[in-house]
Amino acid sequence: MASDVEDTYLVQRAQEGYLDAYSELTDRHGALAYRVALRLLGNHHDAEDVAQESLITAWQHLPGFTAKSSFSTWLYQIVTRRALNRISRTRTTESLDRIGEIPDQAPDPGDTAVRRRAADAVVNAITALPPPQRVAIVLHHLEGLTNAEVARITGSTVPAVRSHLLRGRRTLGKVLQEWR
Amino acid sequence: MTGPDQSGDHIRQQLDGLGGRLACGCEVDEVLEQAANGKARQRTEHQRDCPACQAALQEFSRLWEPVRRLAAEGVAVPVGIKAAVTYQIGKLVSDAGYSLHLAEAGALRIAARVIAHIARDAASSAPGVETAFGRSTHRHAALGVLGSTAVIDLAIAVHYGRQADVVAREVQRRAIAAVRTQSGINDITINVTIDDIVT
Repeated sequence: MASDVEDTYLVQRAQEGYLDAYSELTDRHGALAYRVALRLLGNHHDAEDVAQESLITAWQHLPGFTAKSSFSTWLYQIVTRRALNRISRTRTTESLDRIGEIPDQAPDPGDTAVRRRAADAVVNAITALPPPQRVAIVLHHLEGLTNAEVARITGSTVPAVRSHLLRGRRTLGKVLQEWR
Repeated sequence: MTGPDQSGDHIRQQLDGLGGRLACGCEVDEVLEQAANGKARQRTEHQRDCPACQAALQEFSRLWEPVRRLAAEGVAVPVGIKAAVTYQIGKLVSDAGYSLHLAEAGALRIAARVIAHIARDAASSAPGVETAFGRSTHRHAALGVLGSTAVIDLAIAVHYGRQADVVAREVQRRAIAAVRTQSGINDITINVTIDDIVT
Protein backbone atom coordinates (compact mmCIF):
# COMPACT_ATOMS: atom_id res chain seq x y z
CA MET A 1 0.00 0.00 0.00
CA ALA A 2 1.56 3.28 -1.04
CA SER A 3 1.32 6.12 1.44
CA ASP A 4 2.86 9.46 2.23
CA VAL A 5 3.88 8.67 5.79
CA GLU A 6 7.57 9.09 6.58
CA ASP A 7 10.06 6.34 7.22
CA THR A 8 10.39 7.33 10.87
CA TYR A 9 6.68 6.64 11.38
CA LEU A 10 6.99 3.24 9.73
CA VAL A 11 10.08 2.41 11.79
CA GLN A 12 8.28 3.27 15.03
CA ARG A 13 5.28 1.12 14.11
CA ALA A 14 7.54 -1.75 13.06
CA GLN A 15 9.39 -1.49 16.38
CA GLU A 16 6.02 -1.87 18.11
CA GLY A 17 5.42 -5.13 16.29
CA TYR A 18 3.39 -3.99 13.30
CA LEU A 19 4.74 -6.36 10.65
CA ASP A 20 2.92 -4.54 7.87
CA ALA A 21 4.84 -1.38 8.64
CA TYR A 22 8.08 -3.23 8.05
CA SER A 23 6.60 -4.71 4.90
CA GLU A 24 6.08 -1.14 3.68
CA LEU A 25 9.71 -0.31 4.52
CA THR A 26 10.76 -3.37 2.53
CA ASP A 27 8.69 -2.10 -0.38
CA ARG A 28 10.35 1.30 -0.21
CA HIS A 29 13.94 0.21 0.33
CA GLY A 30 14.18 -3.29 -1.14
CA ALA A 31 15.38 -1.81 -4.42
CA LEU A 32 18.16 0.11 -2.66
CA ALA A 33 19.35 -3.05 -0.90
CA TYR A 34 19.39 -5.08 -4.09
CA ARG A 35 20.93 -2.34 -6.27
CA VAL A 36 23.82 -1.66 -3.90
CA ALA A 37 24.47 -5.37 -3.42
CA LEU A 38 24.44 -5.88 -7.19
CA ARG A 39 26.89 -3.04 -7.79
CA LEU A 40 29.23 -4.29 -5.08
CA LEU A 41 29.07 -7.99 -5.92
CA GLY A 42 28.53 -7.92 -9.68
CA ASN A 43 26.11 -10.82 -9.91
CA HIS A 44 22.37 -11.15 -9.43
CA HIS A 45 22.36 -14.35 -7.40
CA ASP A 46 24.63 -13.06 -4.63
CA ALA A 47 22.92 -9.66 -4.74
CA GLU A 48 19.52 -11.22 -4.13
CA ASP A 49 20.85 -13.25 -1.21
CA VAL A 50 22.56 -10.23 0.36
CA ALA A 51 19.52 -7.99 -0.12
CA GLN A 52 17.25 -10.54 1.59
CA GLU A 53 19.70 -11.19 4.42
CA SER A 54 20.13 -7.47 4.97
CA LEU A 55 16.40 -6.77 5.18
CA ILE A 56 15.93 -9.63 7.65
CA THR A 57 18.94 -8.47 9.69
CA ALA A 58 17.49 -4.96 9.77
CA TRP A 59 14.22 -6.36 11.15
CA GLN A 60 16.05 -8.37 13.80
CA HIS A 61 18.02 -5.33 14.93
CA LEU A 62 15.17 -2.86 14.65
CA PRO A 63 14.59 -2.66 18.44
CA GLY A 64 18.12 -1.24 18.79
CA PHE A 65 17.77 1.26 15.95
CA THR A 66 17.71 4.68 17.56
CA ALA A 67 17.06 6.75 14.44
CA LYS A 68 20.29 8.75 14.81
CA SER A 69 20.55 8.23 11.07
CA SER A 70 17.83 7.64 8.51
CA PHE A 71 16.56 4.12 7.90
CA SER A 72 18.08 4.17 4.41
CA THR A 73 21.53 5.13 5.72
CA TRP A 74 21.28 2.34 8.27
CA LEU A 75 20.27 -0.11 5.54
CA TYR A 76 23.19 1.04 3.37
CA GLN A 77 25.44 0.13 6.32
CA ILE A 78 23.97 -3.34 6.69
CA VAL A 79 24.03 -4.12 2.96
CA THR A 80 27.58 -2.84 2.57
CA ARG A 81 28.81 -4.88 5.53
CA ARG A 82 27.13 -8.06 4.37
CA ALA A 83 28.38 -7.59 0.80
CA LEU A 84 31.93 -7.06 2.05
CA ASN A 85 31.66 -10.22 4.14
CA ARG A 86 30.62 -12.12 1.07
CA ILE A 87 33.43 -10.60 -1.00
CA SER A 88 36.01 -11.59 1.61
CA ARG A 89 34.65 -15.16 1.61
CA THR A 90 34.65 -15.55 -2.16
CA ARG A 91 37.49 -13.34 -3.32
CA THR A 92 39.72 -15.06 -5.86
CA THR A 93 42.66 -14.08 -7.99
CA GLU A 94 40.42 -14.50 -10.98
CA SER A 95 38.05 -11.79 -9.81
CA LEU A 96 40.94 -9.37 -9.35
CA ASP A 97 42.00 -10.00 -12.91
CA ARG A 98 38.61 -9.04 -14.29
CA ILE A 99 39.77 -5.47 -14.72
CA GLY A 100 41.42 -6.60 -17.95
CA GLU A 101 38.22 -8.07 -19.36
CA ILE A 102 37.39 -5.32 -21.78
CA PRO A 103 35.08 -6.61 -24.50
CA ASP A 104 36.44 -6.67 -28.02
CA GLN A 105 35.15 -4.14 -30.48
CA ALA A 106 32.19 -5.60 -32.34
CA PRO A 107 32.29 -5.39 -36.14
CA ASP A 108 28.98 -3.54 -36.29
CA PRO A 109 28.59 -1.68 -33.02
CA GLY A 110 25.09 -0.25 -32.83
CA ASP A 111 24.74 2.57 -30.37
CA THR A 112 22.82 0.45 -27.82
CA ALA A 113 25.25 -2.44 -28.07
CA VAL A 114 28.22 -0.12 -27.62
CA ARG A 115 26.59 1.47 -24.57
CA ARG A 116 25.76 -1.94 -23.13
CA ARG A 117 29.33 -3.11 -23.53
CA ALA A 118 30.64 0.12 -22.04
CA ALA A 119 28.30 -0.39 -19.06
CA ASP A 120 29.55 -3.98 -18.70
CA ALA A 121 33.11 -2.71 -18.80
CA VAL A 122 32.32 -0.25 -16.01
CA VAL A 123 30.63 -2.96 -13.91
CA ASN A 124 33.59 -5.31 -14.41
CA ALA A 125 36.05 -2.57 -13.57
CA ILE A 126 34.14 -1.61 -10.41
CA THR A 127 33.87 -5.19 -9.15
CA ALA A 128 37.60 -5.63 -9.75
CA LEU A 129 38.49 -2.68 -7.49
CA PRO A 130 39.78 -3.41 -3.98
CA PRO A 131 36.75 -3.50 -1.62
CA PRO A 132 37.27 -0.10 0.08
CA GLN A 133 37.58 1.66 -3.29
CA ARG A 134 34.65 -0.30 -4.68
CA VAL A 135 32.39 0.70 -1.81
CA ALA A 136 33.40 4.36 -2.08
CA ILE A 137 32.85 4.46 -5.86
CA VAL A 138 29.48 2.69 -5.68
CA LEU A 139 28.09 4.76 -2.82
CA HIS A 140 29.41 8.11 -4.09
CA HIS A 141 29.30 7.90 -7.86
CA LEU A 142 26.44 5.43 -8.38
CA GLU A 143 24.25 6.12 -5.33
CA GLY A 144 25.01 9.84 -5.20
CA LEU A 145 25.93 9.97 -1.51
CA THR A 146 28.29 12.62 -0.16
CA ASN A 147 31.76 11.79 1.11
CA ALA A 148 30.55 12.39 4.68
CA GLU A 149 27.64 9.97 4.20
CA VAL A 150 29.96 7.35 2.75
CA ALA A 151 32.30 7.80 5.73
CA ARG A 152 29.39 7.37 8.15
CA ILE A 153 28.16 4.23 6.39
CA THR A 154 31.58 2.62 6.19
CA GLY A 155 32.71 3.71 9.64
CA SER A 156 35.59 5.56 8.03
CA THR A 157 36.70 9.18 7.77
CA VAL A 158 36.13 11.73 5.02
CA PRO A 159 39.86 11.94 4.13
CA ALA A 160 40.00 8.13 3.88
CA VAL A 161 36.92 8.10 1.64
CA ARG A 162 38.44 10.80 -0.56
CA SER A 163 41.60 8.75 -0.86
CA HIS A 164 39.67 5.61 -1.86
CA LEU A 165 37.67 7.62 -4.38
CA LEU A 166 40.79 9.16 -5.87
CA ARG A 167 42.45 5.81 -6.42
CA GLY A 168 39.24 4.19 -7.63
CA ARG A 169 38.59 6.97 -10.14
CA ARG A 170 42.13 6.74 -11.44
CA THR A 171 41.77 3.00 -12.04
CA LEU A 172 38.33 3.37 -13.60
CA GLY A 173 39.58 6.23 -15.76
CA LYS A 174 42.31 4.04 -17.18
CA VAL A 175 39.87 1.20 -17.90
CA LEU A 176 37.43 3.57 -19.56
CA GLN A 177 40.23 5.06 -21.63
CA GLU A 178 41.08 1.57 -22.90
CA TRP A 179 37.46 1.05 -23.79
CA ARG A 180 37.12 4.20 -25.89
CA MET B 1 48.59 30.49 -26.87
CA THR B 2 48.94 26.98 -28.21
CA GLY B 3 47.13 24.34 -26.14
CA PRO B 4 48.96 21.25 -24.90
CA ASP B 5 48.33 17.86 -26.41
CA GLN B 6 45.15 16.50 -24.79
CA SER B 7 44.75 13.46 -27.00
CA GLY B 8 43.56 10.15 -25.55
CA ASP B 9 47.13 8.92 -25.25
CA HIS B 10 48.11 12.01 -23.35
CA ILE B 11 45.18 11.62 -20.95
CA ARG B 12 46.12 7.99 -20.39
CA GLN B 13 49.67 9.02 -19.61
CA GLN B 14 48.34 11.53 -17.12
CA LEU B 15 46.21 8.88 -15.43
CA ASP B 16 49.12 6.44 -15.39
CA GLY B 17 51.43 8.84 -13.62
CA LEU B 18 50.96 8.95 -9.86
CA GLY B 19 50.47 12.48 -8.65
CA GLY B 20 50.23 13.57 -12.29
CA ARG B 21 49.80 17.19 -13.20
CA LEU B 22 48.47 18.94 -16.28
CA ALA B 23 50.73 21.21 -18.31
CA CYS B 24 49.48 24.17 -16.28
CA GLY B 25 50.45 22.50 -13.00
CA CYS B 26 46.94 21.56 -11.84
CA GLU B 27 46.54 18.09 -10.36
CA VAL B 28 45.01 15.52 -12.70
CA ASP B 29 43.10 13.87 -9.83
CA GLU B 30 41.36 17.09 -8.87
CA VAL B 31 40.27 17.76 -12.42
CA LEU B 32 39.09 14.16 -12.80
CA GLU B 33 37.13 14.47 -9.54
CA GLN B 34 35.50 17.67 -10.76
CA ALA B 35 34.47 16.04 -14.06
CA ALA B 36 33.32 12.80 -12.40
CA ASN B 37 31.13 14.78 -10.01
CA GLY B 38 29.45 16.49 -12.96
CA LYS B 39 30.97 19.88 -12.21
CA ALA B 40 32.99 20.35 -15.37
CA ARG B 41 31.08 23.53 -16.18
CA GLN B 42 31.69 25.04 -12.77
CA ARG B 43 35.12 26.32 -13.68
CA THR B 44 37.45 28.15 -11.36
CA GLU B 45 38.95 31.48 -12.34
CA HIS B 46 42.12 29.70 -13.45
CA GLN B 47 40.19 27.14 -15.49
CA ARG B 48 38.29 29.85 -17.37
CA ASP B 49 41.56 30.94 -18.99
CA CYS B 50 43.43 27.62 -19.07
CA PRO B 51 43.25 25.52 -22.26
CA ALA B 52 44.91 22.55 -20.51
CA CYS B 53 42.26 22.46 -17.77
CA GLN B 54 39.41 23.03 -20.23
CA ALA B 55 40.60 20.22 -22.51
CA ALA B 56 41.09 17.86 -19.56
CA LEU B 57 37.66 18.66 -18.11
CA GLN B 58 36.06 17.97 -21.47
CA GLU B 59 37.98 14.77 -21.99
CA PHE B 60 37.38 13.45 -18.46
CA SER B 61 33.67 14.25 -18.72
CA ARG B 62 33.43 12.15 -21.87
CA LEU B 63 35.51 9.45 -20.20
CA TRP B 64 33.15 9.29 -17.20
CA GLU B 65 29.96 9.23 -19.25
CA PRO B 66 29.47 5.39 -19.03
CA VAL B 67 29.64 5.64 -15.22
CA ARG B 68 27.01 8.39 -15.22
CA ARG B 69 24.80 6.31 -17.47
CA LEU B 70 25.19 3.29 -15.19
CA ALA B 71 24.22 5.41 -12.18
CA ALA B 72 21.08 6.60 -13.96
CA GLU B 73 20.18 3.14 -15.21
CA GLY B 74 17.27 1.45 -13.44
CA VAL B 75 17.88 -1.92 -11.85
CA ALA B 76 15.16 -4.53 -12.16
CA VAL B 77 14.57 -5.83 -8.65
CA PRO B 78 13.63 -9.52 -8.39
CA VAL B 79 10.00 -9.78 -7.37
CA GLY B 80 10.69 -12.56 -4.89
CA ILE B 81 12.71 -10.46 -2.45
CA LYS B 82 9.81 -8.94 -0.54
CA ALA B 83 7.90 -12.22 -0.35
CA ALA B 84 10.97 -14.07 0.91
CA VAL B 85 11.71 -11.41 3.53
CA THR B 86 8.10 -11.30 4.72
CA TYR B 87 7.98 -15.09 4.95
CA GLN B 88 11.23 -15.30 6.94
CA ILE B 89 10.18 -12.54 9.32
CA GLY B 90 6.77 -14.15 9.78
CA LYS B 91 8.55 -17.32 10.90
CA LEU B 92 10.82 -15.36 13.23
CA VAL B 93 8.00 -13.52 14.94
CA SER B 94 5.79 -16.36 16.03
CA ASP B 95 3.63 -19.15 14.77
CA ALA B 96 0.83 -18.25 17.15
CA GLY B 97 -2.67 -18.52 15.79
CA TYR B 98 -6.35 -18.39 16.69
CA SER B 99 -8.32 -21.55 17.12
CA LEU B 100 -11.40 -21.75 14.95
CA HIS B 101 -12.77 -25.14 15.54
CA LEU B 102 -11.77 -28.31 17.29
CA ALA B 103 -13.30 -31.43 15.87
CA GLU B 104 -12.47 -35.02 15.28
CA ALA B 105 -11.25 -34.20 11.82
CA GLY B 106 -8.55 -31.98 13.37
CA ALA B 107 -7.96 -28.44 14.56
CA LEU B 108 -8.42 -25.36 12.41
CA ARG B 109 -6.11 -22.52 13.19
CA ILE B 110 -5.38 -19.20 11.51
CA ALA B 111 -2.16 -17.30 12.12
CA ALA B 112 -2.49 -14.14 14.21
CA ARG B 113 -0.57 -12.12 11.64
CA VAL B 114 -3.08 -13.13 8.96
CA ILE B 115 -5.94 -11.80 11.10
CA ALA B 116 -3.97 -8.59 11.65
CA HIS B 117 -3.45 -8.29 7.91
CA ILE B 118 -7.16 -8.68 7.17
CA ALA B 119 -8.02 -6.02 9.75
CA ARG B 120 -5.36 -3.70 8.38
CA ASP B 121 -6.59 -3.96 4.80
CA ALA B 122 -10.15 -3.24 5.92
CA ALA B 123 -8.99 -0.25 7.96
CA SER B 124 -7.07 1.15 4.98
CA SER B 125 -10.29 1.26 2.97
CA ALA B 126 -12.10 3.54 5.45
CA PRO B 127 -12.56 7.18 4.33
CA GLY B 128 -10.01 9.51 5.90
CA VAL B 129 -7.38 6.83 6.53
CA GLU B 130 -3.99 7.55 4.96
CA THR B 131 -2.33 4.38 6.21
CA ALA B 132 -3.05 1.62 8.70
CA PHE B 133 -1.06 -1.13 10.35
CA GLY B 134 -2.32 -4.09 12.32
CA ARG B 135 -0.87 -6.36 14.97
CA SER B 136 -2.18 -9.06 17.21
CA THR B 137 -1.92 -8.13 20.87
CA HIS B 138 -0.61 -11.64 21.29
CA ARG B 139 2.44 -10.89 19.22
CA HIS B 140 4.78 -12.01 22.00
CA ALA B 141 3.01 -15.31 22.44
CA ALA B 142 5.03 -18.42 21.88
CA LEU B 143 4.11 -21.08 19.42
CA GLY B 144 0.62 -22.26 20.13
CA VAL B 145 -3.06 -21.49 20.11
CA LEU B 146 -4.28 -18.11 21.27
CA GLY B 147 -7.89 -19.03 21.88
CA SER B 148 -10.89 -18.08 19.81
CA THR B 149 -11.09 -14.35 20.61
CA ALA B 150 -9.20 -12.12 18.20
CA VAL B 151 -7.74 -8.99 19.71
CA ILE B 152 -6.15 -6.69 17.15
CA ASP B 153 -4.43 -3.33 17.54
CA LEU B 154 -4.66 -0.96 14.60
CA ALA B 155 -2.42 2.08 14.30
CA ILE B 156 -3.73 4.55 11.74
CA ALA B 157 -2.68 7.83 10.23
CA VAL B 158 -5.63 10.00 9.19
CA HIS B 159 -5.97 12.81 6.71
CA TYR B 160 -5.83 16.29 8.21
CA GLY B 161 -9.29 17.80 8.69
CA ARG B 162 -11.18 14.54 9.23
CA GLN B 163 -13.11 13.97 12.44
CA ALA B 164 -10.87 11.48 14.19
CA ASP B 165 -13.48 9.63 16.26
CA VAL B 166 -15.73 9.16 13.23
CA VAL B 167 -12.83 7.75 11.23
CA ALA B 168 -11.82 5.45 14.10
CA ARG B 169 -15.35 4.08 14.55
CA GLU B 170 -15.65 3.37 10.84
CA VAL B 171 -12.27 1.62 10.96
CA GLN B 172 -13.50 -0.58 13.83
CA ARG B 173 -16.72 -1.39 12.00
CA ARG B 174 -14.97 -2.35 8.75
CA ALA B 175 -12.20 -4.32 10.45
CA ILE B 176 -14.61 -6.37 12.58
CA ALA B 177 -16.78 -7.14 9.55
CA ALA B 178 -13.80 -8.16 7.43
CA VAL B 179 -12.24 -10.41 10.07
CA ARG B 180 -15.61 -12.03 10.78
CA THR B 181 -16.32 -12.64 7.09
CA GLN B 182 -12.87 -13.76 6.05
CA SER B 183 -11.81 -15.82 9.06
CA GLY B 184 -14.96 -17.12 10.67
CA ILE B 185 -13.92 -15.73 14.05
CA ASN B 186 -16.90 -14.04 15.70
CA ASP B 187 -15.47 -12.75 18.95
CA ILE B 188 -13.37 -9.79 17.85
CA THR B 189 -11.93 -6.77 19.63
CA ILE B 190 -10.35 -4.00 17.58
CA ASN B 191 -8.31 -1.33 19.38
CA VAL B 192 -7.70 1.72 17.20
CA THR B 193 -4.96 4.27 17.84
CA ILE B 194 -4.71 7.36 15.68
CA ASP B 195 -1.04 8.25 15.90
CA ASP B 196 -0.42 10.53 12.96
CA ILE B 197 -2.13 13.13 10.81
CA VAL B 198 -1.10 13.53 7.20
CA THR B 199 -1.68 16.84 5.44
